[in-house]
Amino acid sequence: MREALYMIDADEIYVVPDFISEGYFTQDVIPRELELTGPTTVVRGKTLHYCLPVGVHRSMTGLILHRAKEVAPNVNPAETTLIITGHGTGLNQNSTKAIRDQAELIAASGAGYAAVLDAYMEEQPFIAQWDELANTPNVIVVPFFISDGLHSFQDIPVLLGIENEVGPAASQRDAFRQNPHHLRSKTLFYTSAIGTDRLMADVILDQISDFDQEHKSL
Amino acid sequence: MSTALELRNLIRSGYQRIGQILFQTDVYGYPYIICHHEDAELSTEPAFGGLDQYEGPNAVREISTYAEDGTYRFTKGQTNLKRGWVVILDNEEDLRQAVDQFYPACLGLFLAQRDGTLDVQNLRDKLNRQTGMYRFARTVSDAGAQQLVQTVCGPAHQCAKRILWKIDETTPLDDSEASRFNGIVGDLPAAQAIPLLCREACNHFVAECRKVAKAEFEKKDGA
Repeated sequence: MREALYMIDADEIYVVPDFISEGYFTQDVIPRELELTGPTTVVRGKTLHYCLPVGVHRSMTGLILHRAKEVAPNVNPAETTLIITGHGTGLNQNSTKAIRDQAELIAASGAGYAAVLDAYMEEQPFIAQWDELANTPNVIVVPFFISDGLHSFQDIPVLLGIENEVGPAASQRDAFRQNPHHLRSKTLFYTSAIGTDRLMADVILDQISDFDQEHKSL
Repeated sequence: MSTALELRNLIRSGYQRIGQILFQTDVYGYPYIICHHEDAELSTEPAFGGLDQYEGPNAVREISTYAEDGTYRFTKGQTNLKRGWVVILDNEEDLRQAVDQFYPACLGLFLAQRDGTLDVQNLRDKLNRQTGMYRFARTVSDAGAQQLVQTVCGPAHQCAKRILWKIDETTPLDDSEASRFNGIVGDLPAAQAIPLLCREACNHFVAECRKVAKAEFEKKDGA
């Protein structure tokens, strides 16, 4: 990361962590590596502004709604439960909080889903019980991860019941292409990780704009 | 001066290579093209000798992420860049972006070294700032670290970067093929190739230090 400054000509740099929530990397590792001492630091003659990670921005709500609409364009939201799923782990409450916040924002957004829930791989409520958590015939599951990988390609499809066991067959795009899945007496739509949406570029810009509003408007 | 203009001047003064890639100017009317240096002859034939043609710097991601055998190139200094392509670029800024995709920051590091502004971080300083699971890596012995340089770094282990760092301020690297490597792939005079420079041990090296540190600890513990 320290090499990055050598490839930038600009004097002013905004650093936006492409992370789903705050935590060890955004609070310890990145500031350490980039030698940041606060929201704005001068390093090697350049001014670095350190923004919040993309995952905590309120505009992630729009991305989740966009992705849900994209994967299930013809379902009636009133007959659909939207589930945002994450890792869930005792190690870091921040990522769970980010997901809970999004579920609340979407529920309040007037998007019209019968229910908007959070569920997790490793803590309650468990995504493996998606069919019990939802009272509607349709369910959309959106993984709240910054990129696709083992969790969205392999682990979650198994937990949902789309795949019987973890293995390469569920990798790459297969798990996402065959929507809808008719399982456990419901119709399930499963999307790829939210961080792969093209609109993430706008969330990065939103974090920069928020930084300026907070730190430069005095 | 911008990095793009510096690059243009470097090319005008005779530099034509960095890592495994070759620059050429004014080929079939295109301002700049880049190809794998082993495809140099093909690139000068009509229709670029059948090489796959790409335009613009963004194409480089596709070319440089995986090796020919499909393995992921986890460090861009690896000498397993695939062949069979040519990238066409309109101007110096696009050329600079393309080079930064192949070899991130390597242009800037070279220019900083030339201008005397390059900061090098020695191994002990790098290891001492690690936290979390990599914290343990700092306990690796000097001998263990020296051995690792010879078994993990250098062209024999696929890394084409010239190591600038020492173990610490007073402890240089032991002499070896890895420590002697000049950052230039192939037998080229220094005036023709921008060397790839390693200003601090990479993540791979730090991870290997951790493994050796653990092994050293377990050996002591069991003794």
